[in-house]
Amino acid sequence: MRRRIVAGQVFALVMAVVVLAPAPLAGQSSGKAPAVNVVKPVVPGVNVVKKTPWGDPDLQGVYTFSTLTPLQRPEALAAKVALTEAELAELEERDAQNRVAEDRPLAPGNPGTYNNFWTSNEKGRRTGRSSLIVNPPDGRRPPLTPQAQERRDQLTSEAAARRVGTPPFDHVIYRSWKDLPAYTQCVSRPMPRQSQAYNHGLQILQVPGYVVIHYESMHDVRFIPLDGRPHLPDNIRLWNGDSRGHWEGNSLVVDWTNFDPRQEYEGAPQGNMHFVERFTRVDAKTINYEVTVDDKTTWTKSWKFLLPWRAADGNYQKPEDLYEYACHEGNYRQMEDALSGSRAVENTAPK
Amino acid sequence: MRSRFTGLTIALAAVAALSLAASRVVAQTPTQAYRAPRTPAGKPNLNGIWQALNEANWDVEAHGTGASPFPELLGALLAEPAGQGVVEGGRLPYTPEALAKKKENFAKRLTRPTSRELNETTGDPEAKCYMPGVPRATYMPFPFQIVQTPQEILIAYEFANAAREIHIGRKPEAPAESWMGWSIGRWEGETLVVDVTDQIDRTWFDRAGNFHSDALHVVERYTPISTDHLMYEATIEDPRVFTRPWKMSMPLYRRVEKNALFIDFKCVEYAQEFMYGHLLSK
Repeated sequence: MRRRIVAGQVFALVMAVVVLAPAPLAGQSSGKAPAVNVVKPVVPGVNVVKKTPWGDPDLQGVYTFSTLTPLQRPEALAAKVALTEAELAELEERDAQNRVAEDRPLAPGNPGTYNNFWTSNEKGRRTGRSSLIVNPPDGRRPPLTPQAQERRDQLTSEAAARRVGTPPFDHVIYRSWKDLPAYTQCVSRPMPRQSQAYNHGLQILQVPGYVVIHYESMHDVRFIPLDGRPHLPDNIRLWNGDSRGHWEGNSLVVDWTNFDPRQEYEGAPQGNMHFVERFTRVDAKTINYEVTVDDKTTWTKSWKFLLPWRAADGNYQKPEDLYEYACHEGNYRQMEDALSGSRAVENTAPK
Repeated sequence: MRSRFTGLTIALAAVAALSLAASRVVAQTPTQAYRAPRTPAGKPNLNGIWQALNEANWDVEAHGTGASPFPELLGALLAEPAGQGVVEGGRLPYTPEALAKKKENFAKRLTRPTSRELNETTGDPEAKCYMPGVPRATYMPFPFQIVQTPQEILIAYEFANAAREIHIGRKPEAPAESWMGWSIGRWEGETLVVDVTDQIDRTWFDRAGNFHSDALHVVERYTPISTDHLMYEATIEDPRVFTRPWKMSMPLYRRVEKNALFIDFKCVEYAQEFMYGHLLSK
């Protein structure tokens, strides 16, 4: 059964609900039978399935990057890198229960947020590891630098100062659209893309000289030149950064910089972030997507995650399964509600 | 005297007719004679970064020069250049009601969307950074890049980072109406022919308020005419707005700079003051 949303016309409604009730999105779930999608080891020169007619390793296909495996390892699993079949089955059973809980009616007065109606029903396959982060070995992001911690504290206290009312009926006052995240403004989505509850499909296309990634979400298209040209000048900053690729054996390696400093990734500004992505086909159905994250102004050490991209899986079987994600075009109502709601609260709040 | 004058007139008319015929020949011969380099799959190779170089985004019809919308702020910046038009036959064949609507569109093109209803009915979608639809995306003053594989052709447009995929040799059904429509393609010799349907009614053809309904059906033709030029033709059919189908055509130019690169123009943030400025905290 397909339960995908066509983004443009409903995004506004969904976001209006989310803005009114900024509760954490809990209990993501899986409707699939337990699946063994264990991360496979990369053996250079052995795993590649095919090449393009002009001789590049062929990564083309339609993929989904959704998984219920968390980025960071839960503390309860501190010593566990790989899950056993039994542990995987137990987690997937819990995922299925969460899914049932998501469909229960809400308590009176609770306006609700995303539930299964809005999200994809195949978002849940776990990877067989306890975290996407593979380095550091504890599966957790390294500590923030003092300056990054200071910035985060400052943002937290600024947001708290703009919060009025008592939970669950509290509001954040949005003085301007700029107080809403770039995500909610439909300006951009963080890169690299990590698991998300909806619209998590993409397509890789290749032509001589380029690898091209077409993400369904935000109809973003990344052109990755392979001709060895230098990065754009430092003063050209882009929401999706600037990508340069080359082949190392059968892996595509992409150097990714020049992010707009207003873009945020894992709660930190992306201006100084430098990613190295490595794409390796490990079998006909899977690309291992490995990303090294480096920003010494944000994290004390670099770190790395590994997220399998699954070909022709769930809702993403064919190119036509990528729908047009008209975010901004459907966002007027959400922006109007968020901002006019804030104006109404300002006008009624005691001075 | 009189006979000389007549003779001159006839001579001028003959020269004009000849040169018109000659220009037709010039325009058509390369289209028919040129054989484009092939992709590995043996099709004409359309890969590359392309751009229209004309005034069609101001007005697809012939038009003179004009002031910018805010000359007191902008001086001559963004004043409108004249254009001879890209429409065969010169004028769009509007029904009388549709012509009135086009004129209203133009008059209200920069109305700020201070309500949902205004936002959905009024104003140039370009000012709001909405995806431009087809064919306008082709002649926005921004490059676009064609990524041609045997089964799928992706076109990514810098403006509003709009994108669409053309499905070749298959006819999957559109899941819904959309801003960039649903594109089914096929090859006819040197030409990529694309049927574009399922476009919503909120995109325009240009800044002059030329518009369509959701009954719009566009047939695009992309034909290489040299290594660095494509001929682009679009036949427009929309019986709710036009009395007959009409056609536009224009060359597209390859961006031949050695370092040419697709750089997306995410313009949402440049539209926000215009769209939401009335909702700011005082």
